[in-house]
Amino acid sequence: MTAVADAGLDLRQIEQFLYREARYADEHDYDAWEALWTDDALYWVPAGDDAADPRSQVSVIYDNRNRIATRLKQLRTGKRYSQSPPSNLRRVISNVEILGTEGSDTVVGANFVLVESRTRGMEIWAGRVTYKLRVVDGEIRLAYKKVSLVNKDQPLPTLAFLI
Amino acid sequence: MSDEQDRPGVVVGPSSPEVVGSEFAEVAVSVDHEGNGPRLKLEDLRTGRVRYLDALELETVVWLPDGHLRQLLDPSAHRWREDK
Amino acid sequence: MDCVTATVPQAGTDRPDYSALIQPERVHGSLYTDPRIFAEELERIWYRTWVYVGHESEVPQPGDYVRKNIGPQDLVMTRDREGQVHLLVNRCAHRANLVCEDERGNSNSFRCPYHGWTFRNNGELLGYPYHQGYGGRGKLNLGMATVPRVESYRGFVFGSFAEDGPTLTEHLGAAAGEIDRLCRLSPEGEVELNAGWLKHRTRANWKLLAENETDGYHPQFVHGSIFSVTGSPIGALYSEKSTAVTRDLGNGHSENDLRPEFRRHGEPMRWFGTTPDRVPDYVAKMRQAYGDEAEQILVEGAPHVMIFPNLFIAEIQVFVIQPLSVDECVQHSTAVQLKGAPELNRRMISQSIGSVGPAGMLLADDTEMYERNQVGAEQLRPEWLEIRRGMHRERVDERGLRVGTATDETGMRGFWSHYKTLMEDDK
Ligand code: FES
Ligand SMILES: [Fe+2]
Repeated sequence: MTAVADAGLDLRQIEQFLYREARYADEHDYDAWEALWTDDALYWVPAGDDAADPRSQVSVIYDNRNRIATRLKQLRTGKRYSQSPPSNLRRVISNVEILGTEGSDTVVGANFVLVESRTRGMEIWAGRVTYKLRVVDGEIRLAYKKVSLVNKDQPLPTLAFLI
Repeated sequence: MSDEQDRPGVVVGPSSPEVVGSEFAEVAVSVDHEGNGPRLKLEDLRTGRVRYLDALELETVVWLPDGHLRQLLDPSAHRWREDK
Repeated sequence: MDCVTATVPQAGTDRPDYSALIQPERVHGSLYTDPRIFAEELERIWYRTWVYVGHESEVPQPGDYVRKNIGPQDLVMTRDREGQVHLLVNRCAHRANLVCEDERGNSNSFRCPYHGWTFRNNGELLGYPYHQGYGGRGKLNLGMATVPRVESYRGFVFGSFAEDGPTLTEHLGAAAGEIDRLCRLSPEGEVELNAGWLKHRTRANWKLLAENETDGYHPQFVHGSIFSVTGSPIGALYSEKSTAVTRDLGNGHSENDLRPEFRRHGEPMRWFGTTPDRVPDYVAKMRQAYGDEAEQILVEGAPHVMIFPNLFIAEIQVFVIQPLSVDECVQHSTAVQLKGAPELNRRMISQSIGSVGPAGMLLADDTEMYERNQVGAEQLRPEWLEIRRGMHRERVDERGLRVGTATDETGMRGFWSHYKTLMEDDK
């Protein structure tokens, strides 16, 4: 991990962070992945309509920091059957762009393609990710991650791994 | 922020503040003030055809019986006809 | 004893012998795996009996429409200018193109994109382009097909492809009271299903889902992971010590009646995992609306009922099972919204997102079981799936309904006995 200055994240640092986050998720490194989040974290996978208000419409995932912790605790029991055994995952993050800033957060957009293999078969997941990154104590942290799946309006297979 | 994607089915034309749109038709609606009095401007966004309706015409539409409206919705009532 | 082969036993005709496949204590694996049986189910269950389609709150305004389904049939649920709800088959009367493509919208008429035929939202043909090809205007009497019978019960819209048969009231029977129980949790006596839908693709036969919905035997195992990390009291409701019961409501419907447990505790809002002081507005409104009855309603909570063949009300969630083929279906799920209870509604959405759908901390694991169960059922031996749990301790209650303990397979037996009646029906 490289320490970074409080402001002015450059694209290379951002990419390194996103790749690391992706690797932790791919490799089910729940502790390392959880440590990336800020206390006001929001992890969101919309269903159907991106523009819908997640407080009045259901989402696939809409986790605050607390619920991220619960989700990970469940995975760590080893008895979350939809991830026990865990899926084999590899994802590619690409088209990384700095979209702007929101307060002290840097807003970043990227595309991803993820291949999931488990006994049920192979699934291809793809979509657009929006991240909000914040420098806390000299390290980049994740405050917000929204994963907008290309097929979010279609029936989705089980999505119990970290996307 | 540009992370929100455009809502499907909603087309916003350059001069049209509001679009009444569905998967079947898209019409830009605005109140036009170029004349001596206001009138409703309707633009069929799929063909560019424009129709203005004044207050009296709009009132007539409000009072149009449903059966009459159905006849107008027949695609060959006025639009797609062999004799046109 | 296991003398039946893994292929479908025949009874002199070319139809499966359902009496041999469905026995009091067990059912044959081919019921979950044989495409011929699935084809017969479509004909005898999905395209004949009452099937839940949608909720009136999904088309609140005249002209509103939503795409819906009955199994693989693509439907459009509409509300006309007079407020009546219709179920149209989404298929053009000209050359069978899909008429509606959007999931939802507002339009009193639909124009097929292929050749422009135009229909009213009750299915009636309004016209076709270039009418001389048909000898003039109004020459054809070809509308979009409608589902012949549409009825709703407290906003829940059901459709039947059969011209006649039992009424919806007859079909629902004792299950209607469970819908009533859900509605009376609203201070206005109405529920709405307007929080959108999660669609969960499931590679399993639909009956594995229907049977699981009131299976009180599985939660401690399948959901042990989430119960243990949240300290959830749900697990205890389905333990051997639980006073909750499983009830066969007749006509294939069944419930896990959790009221005995909630009455034992006698704590209002315990069913929702909260206390009255945390939802004060709701509790006040309920007491105002229901007077003395309110305490009982607030203690007893929401129903947990499977309505044959596809509507599952799981306390604060509604599920709709849509079969697509013998080994694939879609689970549609949403959060119940109680009219006049904004305080609860927000929480119900949040809790539902946590629990159900493709990433749900409960339903992802149920679905994993359905899919493994499907693979298991495709194995040749020992051919049968057991449904005998608790047969010896079943009793008949004061309403004449069969009741088992919280973990008994009473609901499954009720499901199969109705299924058998429908599949053997010679009509
Ligand atoms: S198929 Fe619909 S108009 Fe021809
Ligand atoms: Fe379950």
